[in-house]
Amino acid sequence: MTKTTNPRKRSLGLISLRRRLGKVQIPVALGMTLVWMLLFKGFQPRPESLGLLVLGFLVSVLIMVLFPMPPITPGPRFHPVNLVRLFLHVLVEMVLASFQVTVLTFRPGRVHSSVVAVRMRTDSDLMMVCTAIAASVIPGTLIVEVNRPERILYVHMLGVGDDEAVEKGRRDVWKLERRFVMALGTQEDIAALRAGGPEELEEQKRHEGKEGS
Amino acid sequence: MSEQFVTVLDWVAVLCILAGAALSLVAGVGLVRFPDLLSRMHTAAKPQVLGLLLVLVGIGIRLVPVETNVFNVGTLILVALFQVVTIPVAGHITARVGYRTGRIDESLMARDELAARLASDDEIAGGGGDMSR
Repeated sequence: MTKTTNPRKRSLGLISLRRRLGKVQIPVALGMTLVWMLLFKGFQPRPESLGLLVLGFLVSVLIMVLFPMPPITPGPRFHPVNLVRLFLHVLVEMVLASFQVTVLTFRPGRVHSSVVAVRMRTDSDLMMVCTAIAASVIPGTLIVEVNRPERILYVHMLGVGDDEAVEKGRRDVWKLERRFVMALGTQEDIAALRAGGPEELEEQKRHEGKEGS
Repeated sequence: MSEQFVTVLDWVAVLCILAGAALSLVAGVGLVRFPDLLSRMHTAAKPQVLGLLLVLVGIGIRLVPVETNVFNVGTLILVALFQVVTIPVAGHITARVGYRTGRIDESLMARDELAARLASDDEIAGGGGDMSR
């Protein structure tokens, strides 16, 4: 009896192992290997560098077999030129906004702020997360709440008191989203951005009218 | 590398580190000065990011002529990367919990588009709980 059940058990284990191995995402594993190499200074030419690389890759695969994660769909599409522009944009925004927050900090009087609802124009998890992270890193804006089904980010903006400033803050978040979509978005995302999304059109028109006048 | 070049690099590094430290100081001042949690989150989490990045850049420049065995530029890049990726998570969770448990100063809010939203959600749910206040 034991002779017949044991191989079956083993083959079941093999099947589940194979299924888990199939879920390993090679780009993510490569990214983890890169982090590993940076941690252990694998890029300095040393005799053990190649071993480090192989070991790092094996460890990444092991981590992904033990803790499988759902894949990001659709994955990022890289547009190198726009990626550089995105990077510079975020950097410049960070410096400017740090300066503004510094001024606010030392100006006497009460500082008013607002929570503004910004509806994303693209319907992509990745774009939403990237925009939220960047908005959080840039001083002066902070994500308080996210409404995924309606793709709304609720952004707390420091020193934003009147309607004009609210609209400006909203446009800044949209600008950020546009940069991310241009740098990492799929064709559908870019198209959605161009179209502006069904609910967004009215508001966008209002802004364009405001900017034009 | 010539002696002069190293001196210039040193000065650039010193300026970067000083600017970074100044920004972190601003963050500390803001923490004391601002009245409510959400405003404080701004200074606690933000100028500090740029400050930290500047300090890291300074150290990186300083490390170019003298490659040590403890740190190298790769380590610094990792520190910067994980700081930038993790700070928003902590900031968002703190802000969300603070907002939902009412740790905010209504008189400082010029406009609050989330409160209206949460109120209407509550109404739909049958007025269960008063989380948004």
